[in-house]
Amino acid sequence: MEMLNSILFLPLLSAVLIILFLRTSKWGGAMVSVLSAVVCAIMALVVILSNTTSIKSSFVLFELGDFSMNIGLLFDSIGANMLFVVCVVGFLIHVFSVGYMDDDNSKGRFFAGLSFFMFSMSGIVLASNLFMMFVFWELVGFSSYALIAHYADTPDAREASKKAFIVNRVGDFGFLLGIIFCWSVFGTTDFVELAQIIKESPDKASTLMGLLIMCGFIGKSAQFPLQVWLSDAMAGPTPVSALIHAATMVAAGIFMMVRLASIGFLTNDVLAVVMVLGSLMAFMAGLWALGQNDIKKILAYSTLAHLGMMGAGIGLGYGFAMFHLTTHAFFKATLFLVAGSIIHACHHEQNVFKMGGLFKRMPITSITALVATLSIVAIPYFSGYYSKESILTSAFAMASDRGEFFNYVVLALLVGGAFLTPIYMGRLFFNVFLGKPNSERAEHAKESGLFMSIPLIVLGILSIAGGWSYVCECRWFEGKMSCLIPTSACVFVGDFLKSHMKMLHEIPSVHTFEYLTLALTFIGIAIAYVVYGRCGGRDTLEESAPVVYKVLNKHGWFDDIYNWYVAKVQQRIAVLLSVVVDLSLIELLSVRGFGVVCAIVGQGFKRLHDCSANSQVKWFVAGIVFVFALVIFS
Amino acid sequence: MENISEILLNSAIYAPFVFAIMLTFSWKFIGAKMSGGIALLSSVISLICGLGVCGCFFFTPEGYNSFVFASRLGILPEFALSALSMPMLALAVIVSFSATVYSLSLEIKNAKLYYILLLVMQGGLFGAFTSTNLLWIYMFHEFALIPTFIAMVLWGSVGKRMAAMQMAIYLTLGALVSLIGIIAVYASSLASDFSIVSISSALTTQHIDASWQKTIFGLLLFGLGTLVSLFPFYTWAPRTYACAPTAFAMLHAGVLKKFGLFVLIQVAVPFLPEGCFQWVNVIAVLALVNVIFIGLVTMAQRDLKLMVSYSSVAHMGLCFLGIASMSVLGVGGAVFLMFGHGLSVALMLMLSNIIVNRTNQWDMFKMGGMYKQTPILAGFFIAGTMASLGLPMFANFWGEITILTSLWDFSPTVCALATTGIVISAIYGLRAVARVFMGKPSKELTERISSIADISKIERVAAIVLVVALVFVGVCPKVISEPADALLKSLPAYNQGK
Repeated sequence: MEMLNSILFLPLLSAVLIILFLRTSKWGGAMVSVLSAVVCAIMALVVILSNTTSIKSSFVLFELGDFSMNIGLLFDSIGANMLFVVCVVGFLIHVFSVGYMDDDNSKGRFFAGLSFFMFSMSGIVLASNLFMMFVFWELVGFSSYALIAHYADTPDAREASKKAFIVNRVGDFGFLLGIIFCWSVFGTTDFVELAQIIKESPDKASTLMGLLIMCGFIGKSAQFPLQVWLSDAMAGPTPVSALIHAATMVAAGIFMMVRLASIGFLTNDVLAVVMVLGSLMAFMAGLWALGQNDIKKILAYSTLAHLGMMGAGIGLGYGFAMFHLTTHAFFKATLFLVAGSIIHACHHEQNVFKMGGLFKRMPITSITALVATLSIVAIPYFSGYYSKESILTSAFAMASDRGEFFNYVVLALLVGGAFLTPIYMGRLFFNVFLGKPNSERAEHAKESGLFMSIPLIVLGILSIAGGWSYVCECRWFEGKMSCLIPTSACVFVGDFLKSHMKMLHEIPSVHTFEYLTLALTFIGIAIAYVVYGRCGGRDTLEESAPVVYKVLNKHGWFDDIYNWYVAKVQQRIAVLLSVVVDLSLIELLSVRGFGVVCAIVGQGFKRLHDCSANSQVKWFVAGIVFVFALVIFS
Repeated sequence: MENISEILLNSAIYAPFVFAIMLTFSWKFIGAKMSGGIALLSSVISLICGLGVCGCFFFTPEGYNSFVFASRLGILPEFALSALSMPMLALAVIVSFSATVYSLSLEIKNAKLYYILLLVMQGGLFGAFTSTNLLWIYMFHEFALIPTFIAMVLWGSVGKRMAAMQMAIYLTLGALVSLIGIIAVYASSLASDFSIVSISSALTTQHIDASWQKTIFGLLLFGLGTLVSLFPFYTWAPRTYACAPTAFAMLHAGVLKKFGLFVLIQVAVPFLPEGCFQWVNVIAVLALVNVIFIGLVTMAQRDLKLMVSYSSVAHMGLCFLGIASMSVLGVGGAVFLMFGHGLSVALMLMLSNIIVNRTNQWDMFKMGGMYKQTPILAGFFIAGTMASLGLPMFANFWGEITILTSLWDFSPTVCALATTGIVISAIYGLRAVARVFMGKPSKELTERISSIADISKIERVAAIVLVVALVFVGVCPKVISEPADALLKSLPAYNQGK
C-alpha cells in the first residue's frame, strides 16, 4: 500500500522540487526527474511481482451532504497491466529525454512537466472511483498542455497547446456530466461498488450515461469528432509525443473504457457506438497518414488509427483493446523515439523526404525502427501481430455470427485500416532509411548517444517480445514472470484471450480469414515499396495525383471546419453579444438611458420648483385644493 | 483558549481601524513609505490573528454549527465566527495582506490617504463577515464600500468618473434594497433585536407567511444580487474592476463581492426557505445567463483587465446556481467557489495590472512572447488562469465540481448548461495566456520587450500568498467543507431535497 502511495506521490514531489529549486539548474532537474522515474519503475515492478490479489484503499478527502470525495487507490489486474506500461515506458522515455534535450535551455521546466505527468497518469491508473479519475484526467490534460507549449515562442506550439486543452475540455464536458449522472443514479462512483450494484441489477446502467462518459474517451483518445488536437500536439518535444501522445495519456481513454466495460457498466449500444467510431478512425487516419510529410505527423495519424482500432476492440471484447494498448505502447513509443533520435541527429529536420540513407549512418536507430515497423504492420511473431490479429479475428467472428450490416462495415473498415498500416509505414521507412540522403542534414547524421540508444534497444526488444507474454506459456522466476512481463500484469488480458480465442477458432473459415489478412499485409508492403520505395525525395502520390494527395493532406477538412466555426461563428457570436446586448442594450440603452430619463424628470421638477413668491402661493393653493379633494372624495 | 481566540478575533478586526485612525491624525512627517509600512503592519497583524482565530475554530468544543468566540464589549458590535464566516474571514485577511503588499510596490500620489482608505476598507470587510448583528453587518459593508468610491475617483484609470458614479448608484441602491429586506425579516420575525441568533430563535415559533416570504426574499435576492453582479445588474462590475486602483479592485472583486452571497447563504435562505423555494427557478435562469452569456462576452474582450473583470462576473453565476440547488452539496460548493474565486480573481487582477503596467498596452493582441523575459510572472499567470478555469489542486475546482453535481438533482438540463462554463472559461483563459506570453512579441512590443522586467520581490510575495492559499484548500478541502457541512446540515432550509 505504501508502495502504491509512493508511486503516486514521488513524481509529484520531484515536480515540485524542480519547479521551486532546480528550474534554472542545468542538469539538476533532469537528475531528480529521472531518479524519481527509476524509483517508481522499480517500485511498480515490486508491487506487480509481489501482489497477485487486488489492493484497495480509501481516504475521504471531504464530505458535503451525501456526497463524499474519495481519494482511494485501486490496484487490480487491469491496473497492474497499465501501471507496468506507464512506469516502464515512462522510465525509458525519461532516460531518452536526457539525451534528446541536451541542448535545451529550459530543461527544468521540461522535466518538471514530465514528472508531473507521471504523477497524474499514475493517478488515473490507480483511481478507485470516477470522480478521482476525473481529477487526474484534468491534471494529465494540464501536463499535456504545459509540455506541448514547451517551445512556446513558436506559433505552432502556442496554438496547439491551447487547442489540445480546449478540445479535451469539450470531451470532459460530457465526461463530467456522465460521472454526475452515474453518481445520482448509483449513489457511488467507486468501481468495486459499481461492479456489485450492476451485478445485482444490470438494468441500472443506461446508454445515455455510457455515451456521456464515452465523451471523455473521445476527447482524451482523440477519436472522431475530437481527433483534431492530436496531430497538432506534435509541436511538443518528441519524447513528450512518445510518452503522452502515443503510449500512455491518449491510451487513458481506452483504459477507462476497458475498466468500465469489464464491470458491465457500458451497455451494448454504447459498445456498438464505440466500435463504429473506432473502426472509422482506424481506416480514415490510416488514409490521412499518407498525406503527411512530417515524420511525427505520420506517426500521429498512425496513433489515431491504432487508437481507433483499440476503440473497436472495446466493442469487440475489452481484453483485445487492453492487449493492443499494451503492444501499441511498446512499438509506438519505439517509433516515436526513433523519430526523436533522427530529428536530433538531423538537427530538427522532420520532413521524411529530406532524410534517406540513414540505415548506414544510424544502425541502432534503424534496426529498432525496423523491428517496431514490423511489429506495427503485424508480421507474425512480432508483438503487434497478436493484438491486431485478435481484434480483426473477433471482428470477423462478430460479423459472421450476427451478420448485421454494421458488423460488416466495422470489419471492412478494420481490415482496411490494417491494410493501410504497411503502406504508410513502408512509405516512412523506405524514405527515411533506404536510398540516398536527400538533404545535407541527413548526410551528416550520426548515431545518437547511449542515453538515447539504450531506451531504444529496450523498447525495441519489448516491441518484438511484448506480445509473447500473453499468448504463450513461458513462466520463469517462480512463475512470477511470463516472458518479459510480470505475470500479474498480463493475467487480465491472458485470461480474456484464453476464454475468447478458443471460441473464435471454432468459427468456420476463421483460418482463411487470418491468412487473408496476412496476405494483405504483405501486399501492402509490396505496394509501399513499388510506390514509395524509390521516389528519391519526392512523394509519388503528390507528383502523380496532386488532388488525391491534397485531399488526404487536409485530413477530412475538420481543422478548416472547426477553425471556421471558432473564428466565424463562435467569436462573432461573442462579439455580437458583447456589442449588441452587453454594450448597447444593457449598458447604453437601459443603464445610461435610465440615467437620461432620471435627468430629464429631475430637470422638469426643477422647473416647477423655482423660489419666487408667486409660485410658492400657487403651490400652496394647489396643495389646499388637493387635500380638500382627498377629504371630499374619500 | 476561549479568551485567546476572542482577543485574536477582535484584534484582527480592530487593527485596521486603529491604524487608520492613527494615520489620519498622524504628524506630517509620516510620509508615503511610513504609512505604507504602517498599513503593512496592520495587515500582517490581521493576517496572523485572523488565520489564528480560524485555526482555533477547529478546536472549539461548541461544534461547528453555532457562533463561537463572540465578544461582548458592551455597546461595541459583537463579533463571532460561524462555519461560513470562518473561510470568509480567512479570505479577507489573505487578500487584504496581498493587496497591501502589492500597493507597496506602486508609486502612489497622496499615499497616506490611500492607505487610510485601504485600511478602513479592510476593517469593514472583516467586520462585515464576522458581525452577529444584521445591522452591523450592513454598516460594516458600507465601511468597506465607501472607500472604493473615493479611491476610484482619486487613483482610478481612464473613465474612472463614469465608472465610479455607476458603481456608486448600483451598489448603494442594491445595499438599500437589501436593507429593506433585512428590516422586513426582522420585523416579521418579531425578534427582540437584529442579532442573527435571536431572529433565528424567534423564527422557530413565528412562521412567516409564504407569499410574504417570497416578497422579502425577492428584495434580498435582487438587492444582494446587485452587489454580486447577478444578471442583469452586473454592468457596474467590469468597468469598476478595470478602473479602480488594483488593491481596491482586488479587495472588492475578491472579498467584498462575496458579501452578498454570504448574506444569502447565512441569512436569507435559512430564514426564508419557502421564499427562496419560490425564486429558485428565477435564480437558476439568471445565473445561467451569467455563466453562458457573460462567458461569451468575456471571450470577446481584448482588454486584459476587462477580460478578467468579466470573467469574475461569469463565475458568480455558478455560486448562485449552488444556492439555487438549496442543498448542502450545492451551498457548500458555493462556499468553496467563493473562497477560491476570491483568491484567484485577486491574483488575476493583480497580475494583469502588472502586465499592463509593464507593457504599456491594454490590448492582449498587442502583447505576446513575454514568457522568456518574465518566466516567473508567466508561471503565476498560468497558475491563476488554471485556478480560475477550475483545474484540480486549486480551491475553485472543488467548488465547481460540487455545485455541478448538486445541480443534477435540481435539473439535469440546468446542470448540462452550467457545465458549458468549464469549456467557456478554458477558452478565454487559455487564449489570454497564449496572447500575452506565448508566440512572438507583437510589433508594438518588439522594441520594449528586452526592457520588461520579471515580477519583483514584493509582487512575488503578494502573489505567493494567494497561490499558496489556493493550493492549500485545493489539496486539503476539508478545512472548508467539514465546518460548512456540519452547519449546513443543521439548517432545515438546505435539507429538504430527495
